[in-house]
Amino acid sequence: MRRRPAERIARAAWVLVVPAFATALAAGLPVQPKLLPPDQAFRLSARALDPTTIEARFDVADGYYLYRDRIHFSVGSSGNLPADLPSGLRKHDEFFGDVETYRGPVVIRVALPSAAPGRTLTLQTDSQGCADVGVCYPPNPQALEIAVPMAGGKPGAFVEAGPKKSWLK
Amino acid sequence: MSGSDPDTVSPAAASALVNRDGSVVSRRRWFVIASACVGAAALAAGAALFRERDARARDGEAVLATVLPDLDGRDTPLAQWRGKVLVVNFWATWCAPCREEMPQFVAVQTRDAAKGVQFVGIAVDQVDKVRDYVKEIHINYPVLIGGFGAIELSKTLGNELAALPFTIVVDKRGGVAHTQLGQLKPAQLDELLTSLLA
Repeated sequence: MRRRPAERIARAAWVLVVPAFATALAAGLPVQPKLLPPDQAFRLSARALDPTTIEARFDVADGYYLYRDRIHFSVGSSGNLPADLPSGLRKHDEFFGDVETYRGPVVIRVALPSAAPGRTLTLQTDSQGCADVGVCYPPNPQALEIAVPMAGGKPGAFVEAGPKKSWLK
Repeated sequence: MSGSDPDTVSPAAASALVNRDGSVVSRRRWFVIASACVGAAALAAGAALFRERDARARDGEAVLATVLPDLDGRDTPLAQWRGKVLVVNFWATWCAPCREEMPQFVAVQTRDAAKGVQFVGIAVDQVDKVRDYVKEIHINYPVLIGGFGAIELSKTLGNELAALPFTIVVDKRGGVAHTQLGQLKPAQLDELLTSLLA
């Protein structure tokens, strides 16, 4: 199928014109790092293992990290609950001294203030992390509804935290 | 653009242009379609430029209309720096990349103050931590405490995730000349200031 000259010229013109416009458009846009929203960069899920223990899990996306000492859990007005935070990767911070960070998945056991068999609790979490491209997210409070099993019952299923509209709300 | 393919030229269109081999039809069609596309693109680009300029002026006014407390709780209006090249840097002590780039700002503030450059820090943080860091690196420009309003301002200016550091450069006429999520590299900052002070 032989192309007619006009068609060939027109096609050639578009091959030149379209990328030229695309380049012009791209040049007008500021170059900014592409970032995941914090709920996707630090995916949180949790379940109740037994009437007094919650297991929380952060799945930290590649290229992101969470600060170990900025992860907190509470239920109602409990204040920060005792959490078994595994040791992280050591990192020297000029202002805060030695800090530890988490990458990849991290599983944390949280002790409830009192046994809550058969109840549904709202687990409040706070976490803060950064991206390797050189930006940090503000502290990110989240809440999860957790169904607590009866004594001797099976652990509940993991519940995932949904996206939030604003970190301050 | 299947209609531009010469093989699909309708018999009616071909006969109307009195052309047996179809080449004139296809050339004309291509010319018309191409011109229309280029024209539309040029119009769209022009409109986008105008909108962009409007947006920069509006965003600049939003920055200059901001009033935030300083470290002693005194309300500080950014409007007092209208007419300067104003570099507004959102930061926090919990943001290591923010802290890394700030000594550079201190140096440039000293170097370019007489030329009409003014840095302002907006800390999304607790005042006691901010005070410690301000002392530690001897910050020589005003640092204000930004709460919810400051976060909203940074979101309005395109920082939807409220991530830090985030820096806005407002030119002497009050328009936003540059916004930067992540660190401003020294060479980039110098180039920007040189062009805005010219």
